[in-house]
Amino acid sequence: MRSRWEMSETNEEERGGGNYKLIFSVFRLLFRYRTLWLSRIMSSPAENTQLASHLFDELLGSIIMDVSSECHRIARLGLDRNLDDEEEELRLSAQARARVADPSNSEANSKYVVDIFGQTHPPVATEIFDCMNCGRAIVAGRFAPHLEKCMGKGRKARVKSTRSSTAAAAHNRFDF
Amino acid sequence: MKVYDPDFDRAVMCEQIVGLGNGNLEGVRSNIKRKRLSSEVGLNSDFKNLKRVTVSGGGEWDHDRRISKSCFPVGLRGLNNLGNTCFMNSVLQALLHAPPFRNYFLSGRHNKDSCRKASNDRFCLSCDIEVIFSAVFSGDRAPYSPAQFLYSWWRLSENLACYEQQDAHEFFMSVLDRIHEKEGKTRNTSKDNPAGDCHCVVHRAFSGLLRSDVTCTTCGFTSTTYDPCVDISLDLNTNIDHTLHIASNKAQKSTDTGISTLTSCLDLFTRPEKLGSDQKLFCQNCQERHESVKQMSIRRLPLVLCLHVKRFEHSLARKASRKIDRHLQFPFSLDMTPYVSSSIVRKRFGNRIFAFEGDESDISTNFEVFAVITHSGMLESGHYVTYLRLNEQWYKCDDAWITEVEDEIVRSSQIYLVFYVQKPNEHKSGEDSGCHLLSGSGESYKSIAGCC
Repeated sequence: MRSRWEMSETNEEERGGGNYKLIFSVFRLLFRYRTLWLSRIMSSPAENTQLASHLFDELLGSIIMDVSSECHRIARLGLDRNLDDEEEELRLSAQARARVADPSNSEANSKYVVDIFGQTHPPVATEIFDCMNCGRAIVAGRFAPHLEKCMGKGRKARVKSTRSSTAAAAHNRFDF
Repeated sequence: MKVYDPDFDRAVMCEQIVGLGNGNLEGVRSNIKRKRLSSEVGLNSDFKNLKRVTVSGGGEWDHDRRISKSCFPVGLRGLNNLGNTCFMNSVLQALLHAPPFRNYFLSGRHNKDSCRKASNDRFCLSCDIEVIFSAVFSGDRAPYSPAQFLYSWWRLSENLACYEQQDAHEFFMSVLDRIHEKEGKTRNTSKDNPAGDCHCVVHRAFSGLLRSDVTCTTCGFTSTTYDPCVDISLDLNTNIDHTLHIASNKAQKSTDTGISTLTSCLDLFTRPEKLGSDQKLFCQNCQERHESVKQMSIRRLPLVLCLHVKRFEHSLARKASRKIDRHLQFPFSLDMTPYVSSSIVRKRFGNRIFAFEGDESDISTNFEVFAVITHSGMLESGHYVTYLRLNEQWYKCDDAWITEVEDEIVRSSQIYLVFYVQKPNEHKSGEDSGCHLLSGSGESYKSIAGCC
C-alpha cells in the first residue's frame, strides 16, 4: 500500500501537460483526505482499524486509477489539444474586462465624435423620405412610430370609431 | 509506441455488441459501472488554476495589420435607427457579412423580375434585402434607412408589427423564415423533406442537423432522432466548477467570481440530461415507460453557426421577464469537435476509437467569428449593437455610427448572438501520433458491423 503512494509523490514532475497536473493535484487532495481519515481512525481503539484503512486505500486507489487512466487516454489521443488556445482566450478575456472597466481608460468609454468615414450623425436620424403606406414625407428617426399608426397597428393605434357625437365623446383617445 | 490502439478498441466494442446479441451499437449496455468523467470536469477552464499560463502576446493589436484610413472594407455602412429599430439594424449588419448570404445577394441570384411575376405577394423580403445589399456595398458611406425592409417585414409578420423594441433573435428567425419561403419556393419543386434538405440560401448558409439520443436507464437502449436547426440556443451556464478551488484553499464564493464561457454553455447543451420522473419515455426494448437520459449533439455543422445566448428569461407564472446580465466569455476561434455527434458518442464509450458515420465529412470543425450582436441595458430599454470582424479588424456598428474598436472592447461586451463561419480545412503538421487516430487521415479501419 505504501509503495503506491510513494510512487505517486515522486512522479510529480512528469511531462508538463495540464492533465498530469490535474491528476497529481487530485492525488494530493485525496492523500490529504486519507491522512485526515487515518488520524481520525487511529484515535479510536477499534481492532478493525487496519481493515478500515486497507479498505479506504483500495477505494481511493481505484478512484485515482479511474481518473488518471481517463485523463491519460484523453491526453494521449489529443482530445484536449485546444487547451492552450482556450486558456489564452480566457486570459485575453479577463485582461479585456479589466482594461475596459478601468475608469482612466478613456478610449473604451468615449462618446462618438466622428465615425471612421469622418461623418457625424444626430441622435435622431434626419433623412427624409416618403412613407410607403400613406405617401407623406417622414423623418427617418420617426418612421417606425409613424408607420405603426399609419398601418393601424400596435397599442397606440387609432381606434376606428363611427362619426356619431356620442361615439366621439366616449372614444376620445386620439394620440398624435 | 502506440498506447491506444484502434484494433484493441474495436475488439472491446465488438465484445460489448456481441454480448448484447442484437448487433446494434445503440443498444450496447455500458460496462462502465463507475461514473465516467465527462471532459467537462477539470479539463477545460479549470486548468487555469493549475497550469502556469505562458504569455504568448497574441492579444496585442498589431499596428502593421491595420488598414490605412483611406481604404475601408466594402459593405461598411451605418443604418439609421427608424425608432427603436436597433434590433433590426444589428441583425441586418450581421446578415450583410455572412459569407454565403452576402455572395448570394450580391451576385444577383435573387431575381427581382421573376420574383414579382412568380408570386402574387406584394412584399418580398428577399427583394428588399437585395436592395439593402446593393446600397450598403455601393461605396456610399452616408447612413442608409432600411425603411422599405421594415415596412415589408411588418406586412409579412402581423403579430410582431408594432413600435416597440423587439427581440433581435426573434427578428432574425422571422427574417430567415420569410426569405426561405421565397427562395425555397422558387428553387425547390418538391416539398422539403424532414431531413432538412432545402437548398435555399438560408438553409445552405445556416442549416445544421442536431442529434438527440434518448437512453433508457433500465436497459441501455438508445433511440436517436435528428432535427434540422438554423441556430443553436444556449442556456447561460452559471454553474462554475469549483472542485479544484478546494485544493487551492480559496473560499468557495458565489458563482459571481467565476467566469461563464460560451464553451461551457455548449458543454451544458451536450451534457447528458436526466429527464424528470414525470417525463418517462416509452422504451422500445423494454416495451414500457422508464426514466431516461437525453443527450444532444451536432450531427452536421452549418456553414455559418449562429449561437444564441438565452439572456432573456420569461416566467409565465410570474408574468415577468428578466435579463441575465452575466458576462459570457467567447473565443474568436471555436473548435466544435467536442460537440459533434461522433465525439459525444465516442465519449459515451470511454473515448474508444471506432469509425463513425460522419467521420469522412469534409466539413471542418474549426470556426472563426465574424459578427457579434450585443445587448446592453435593461430588458425593456436596451440597445443592440453589432461588432463586425473584417480583415482582422473589429468595427462597431451602432445604428448610423461605424467606428473601429479594439479586440478587448468586443471581448468585454455582453454577447447575445454570435456568428461563426467555418474555416477551411488545413492539414495540421503531425504532433502526436495519437492525434491522427481520430482525424482519420492515413488510418483506415473497418467499421464495426451495426455501428451507427
